[in-house]
Amino acid sequence: MSGMIELQRASLRYGDILGLSPTTFSLPDGGGITGLLGPNGAGKSTLIQVLAGLLPPSGGEVRIFGEVPFRNPAVLGRIGLVPEGDRFPSGISALRWLRMMAQLSGLSGRGMDEALDRALRTVGMETRAHLAFSSMSKGMRQRIRLSQALLHQPGLLILDEPFNGLDPEARLELMAMLRGLARDGVRVLVSSHILGEVAQLTDRILLLFRGRLLAEGSVAEIRELLDRHPVELRVNADSGQAVARWAVEHGELVALRLENGGAVLSVRNPRSFLPKLQDAVVRGELPLRSLDPLDLNLDAVFQYLTTDHQ
Amino acid sequence: MSQVTVPSPLATLRAVFIGYLPRVFQARGWILAAMPLAPVGTAILVSILVQAQGGRFSSAEALKVFHEALLKVLLPVMALTAAPAGVREDLEQRTLPLMLVRPAPVWMYPLSKGLVWFAWGALWLLVAAAGLLFLGASTESILRGALALVGLYWAELAFLTLLGLLLKRGTLWGALYIFLFDPLVRILPGNMQRLTFMHYAESIAGSRSSEVGVRELLAQTQLETPMGIALAALFVFGLACWAACGWKLHRTPVGLSGKDAEG
Repeated sequence: MSGMIELQRASLRYGDILGLSPTTFSLPDGGGITGLLGPNGAGKSTLIQVLAGLLPPSGGEVRIFGEVPFRNPAVLGRIGLVPEGDRFPSGISALRWLRMMAQLSGLSGRGMDEALDRALRTVGMETRAHLAFSSMSKGMRQRIRLSQALLHQPGLLILDEPFNGLDPEARLELMAMLRGLARDGVRVLVSSHILGEVAQLTDRILLLFRGRLLAEGSVAEIRELLDRHPVELRVNADSGQAVARWAVEHGELVALRLENGGAVLSVRNPRSFLPKLQDAVVRGELPLRSLDPLDLNLDAVFQYLTTDHQ
Repeated sequence: MSQVTVPSPLATLRAVFIGYLPRVFQARGWILAAMPLAPVGTAILVSILVQAQGGRFSSAEALKVFHEALLKVLLPVMALTAAPAGVREDLEQRTLPLMLVRPAPVWMYPLSKGLVWFAWGALWLLVAAAGLLFLGASTESILRGALALVGLYWAELAFLTLLGLLLKRGTLWGALYIFLFDPLVRILPGNMQRLTFMHYAESIAGSRSSEVGVRELLAQTQLETPMGIALAALFVFGLACWAACGWKLHRTPVGLSGKDAEG
């Protein structure tokens, strides 16, 4: 095995429940951003915990920087983890907590002070770190969570759903920061259940669903895969038959169902179908009142992909 | 990217101790402080009132406060209160994983966190022991009493922390051990007494065999263990418990379970 992250049929069980099916993939050394995409419950956090050395795999092999990560200081000193959730010890200030985290990462003296300054400046919290966690906003706590992962300048930064709860401005700031870190040689692994979010950051994606790695590739490849998913559209029109007739002639239909006041079309490629539909409406060929996509959420797409891969 | 520097066990202990020290100033810490002060303070108040009315408050009463209230009841309750505040609480509140992904030796965390609560509790136990001076207790008995209190608190805190890591209802099992097993074994014959915390604590504080009266008919003749050995026994037992806690935490995978890790 070689590369920064190497998984060989790595799996994880929580008792009788399979959290991660045997998974094999690798990520190369050097900087870059990789997206870990999947709906809630897909196994992203499980995979992240295995990669970060919190949980040892139940089967297979995990190597980070060429070594087993669980309770391995040589690996843990090179990983930064930003978990999801908002858990901090009560009764201590963020600065004191960060200082402790820096010391537990092997930093001390002037080097530690510089690392603290740098990390807090990176997340824009240099003037507010003295506050107690209880008096911080969610966004501030998210920044502190990020800064603790940057203190020791890790080579691998793992973020679990980092954009949850952030306002659009903070989201853009975080994206810019992650891009900067990747340019500086940090391998960033960021999980999300929103494709658009990940697509803005990276062109390399791991697709996870129900504890299985479904696909691995560029955003374009994943999009292509997703486009194969037939999308259901409810076309509300004065005449359902007219819609059906037009769709059969012009659309790549998988299925069609007539309903009162319209029709439900199952379309193979919505990205080519929808412009045609728009043109037809503009030309007055279709008596369309409104259009509702029925299953454009990611869960439905993943459901389709799983069926497709069985 | 920086080179990995692994902090030494001592640096880990120092970092966690200093990091978590302010937590003793929360409600739990002040409750812990009040526990040993309450009986001694009350006894001092009573003695002042008795003396003001021309009565006499004997030093035997001071020793009774020490043995019956401090040693047997309040100190174990203090240990039961403080033990979950260490690693157990972090496990339950899921604040531990971010410490576990550091290169520091994980096995030092239970002791490092426990030391914060040990130091705080021991401080107030010493203050309470010093308060016995006002009740007429001799300096020697107070010194021995202070050693007994600190030694017993050390051992019980470590033991209860270990139970908290090994068992789901560690506090309950700990309470049963201290308040049921300890007194029960005390009335069993021979060397069984050596299996109790109280044997060593009373060996340090001074034997009360002469005070065992008719109401304690079931009590066996109290065994004696030299003070130094009794103190060493409590210290080594506590250290062994902290080591077992460290071993257990090092071996146990601790993840981000619950709603924070749903994916």
